This record gives sequence, structure tokens and C-alpha cells, in this order.
Amino acid sequence: MNEKTVAGLQCSEVLALLSEYLDHELDSAMVERVEGHLLGCPNCERFGRSFGSMVVSLRRDSIASESVDSELVMRLLTQIDRLTTEA
Amino acid sequence: MLDRQKSDGSISDRDLMVQVAAGDRRAFEQLARRHAAAILRLTRAVTGQAATAEDALQQTLLSVYQSASAFRAESSVRTWMLTIARNAAYRIRAKSDRQSLVEERLMELGLGAGWGSGDPETIALAAERKDTLLRALSTLSVQDQEALILRDIEGLQASEAAALLGIGERALKSRLHRARLRLAAALRRESEMSASAQEGPQL
Repeated sequence: MNEKTVAGLQCSEVLALLSEYLDHELDSAMVERVEGHLLGCPNCERFGRSFGSMVVSLRRDSIASESVDSELVMRLLTQIDRLTTEA
Repeated sequence: MLDRQKSDGSISDRDLMVQVAAGDRRAFEQLARRHAAAILRLTRAVTGQAATAEDALQQTLLSVYQSASAFRAESSVRTWMLTIARNAAYRIRAKSDRQSLVEERLMELGLGAGWGSGDPETIALAAERKDTLLRALSTLSVQDQEALILRDIEGLQASEAAALLGIGERALKSRLHRARLRLAAALRRESEMSASAQEGPQL
């Protein structure tokens, strides 16, 4: 990786800031610098775009909305009923 | 984070908790069904095994049932249940091994993730396949999986996830970033394995 300095930031600094940039946790001045670097550095722009897409895929509804086998829940609830009755 | 309000008009988590505290078995079942998948994702990440993850889920549900009246609404019901689940999973895990944490340098993590490579798009393409993404996630350390599950999959705020994990927000953000880079590296490995499997044996 050839380190470049664009918009006052080195590539490694942009790498360190990528998640905070994607999570909207940087102040506006730093956002401007990161975006300036991405505009002038194709390597970081391509990696940042792909990294951001990965995070979006991780957040997609289909993972969080997966349900648990109904039989498992019923079995556990039955065991809990037994435990709380015995107590 | 606010409890999930159901658009179909079904009862909120907090109202269910009030009913569970009053001994309402149906309300408890509804609460269990609503959160079992999220709890199981987290406990599986911590214990590393489906069977022990189910044990942790059962202990969590039992704790929730028995201590519903102690819930003080200082956090959302989901965060409270996930906290109980994490503690249960770690108690189970403590009986087995303890994992050592070796901090890798950020640039090394970046290079492993494809930063500066000729094909950084590999991680985005691999992540589009849900089974590949979940398989890559399962290869990460417990700490990495916890950060990704709580922040990116369950959507907890950074402050909530940090409190649940017992660390500061700054540490949580650092852990999450490193976990995402390791996930990207794992996705690249999955992609390479898939490509070589498709090529078949060299004759």
C-alpha cells in the first residue's frame, strides 16, 4: 500500500476513521477532510465503498428478523414452567 | 433505545414486562418469542456452540421470568434481556477456555481486509450472500462477534452496546472498527475458498 497524503490526511488515517465516518460519528470538519481524501485517492475510495457496502449488508433486516425454531421456545418454556413450579 | 413499538398495534415490551411481573404466562411467552433469536445470536457468539447457547437462552428466560418485577426501565427491555443473556453465556463459557486478546496493528488488519489491494470489491460482493456473511462472522473471536451483533445486527446505540459490554464508548468504537476489518478479511477468505472449490481439483 503506497501511503498518500490527500486533503491533509494520510491513507492510514482514513483507514482508522472509516467506521466512525460510516456511523456519522465524525464532526463536520473531519467529514470534509475524509471526503476530500476519498475524492483524491482511488485506492481508499474503492476500499471505503466496499467496506461500507459490507456494513450495510450486515445491517440488513433479513439477519435481525430471523426467528428461532418455535419448538425450541416451547421446550424451554415448558422446562421453565417445571423449574418454577418445583421451586 | 426505545422499545420496539409494533406497527400492527401489538403490545410493547414494557407493557409485556408489567404483565409478566404480575405472573402472566402468555405475556412471558410473547416476550420470549420476540427476543429469543437475538438472545441466541449473542449467546452462540459467546459460547461458540449451539447447545450451550440454548442453555444460556434458557437461563436468560428463567431469570427474566423470575426477576420481571425487578425491571426498573433504566434501559430498554431488549437491552436488559441481552445483558442477562451475555452474563449467562459468559458464566457457561468460563467453565471452558479463556481467550487471549492479541491486538493487531490497524494497518495489518486493513491489509488483510483488502485495503490497497487490486480487488477491494470482493468483500462487498461476498457480504451480499447472507450465508457467506454469517459463516464469515462465525469465524471471528467472541469479542468481535459481540460488537458486530450488538451494533450492526441488533442496532443498539454505541452507548447502549458499550454499557452492555462493560466498556467505554471509545473502546467500543475501536473494537467495532477492528471487528469490521476482521470480518472483511474473513469474507475475502470465504470468497477465495469458494473460488477454489468451484475450480475443482487440478488434473
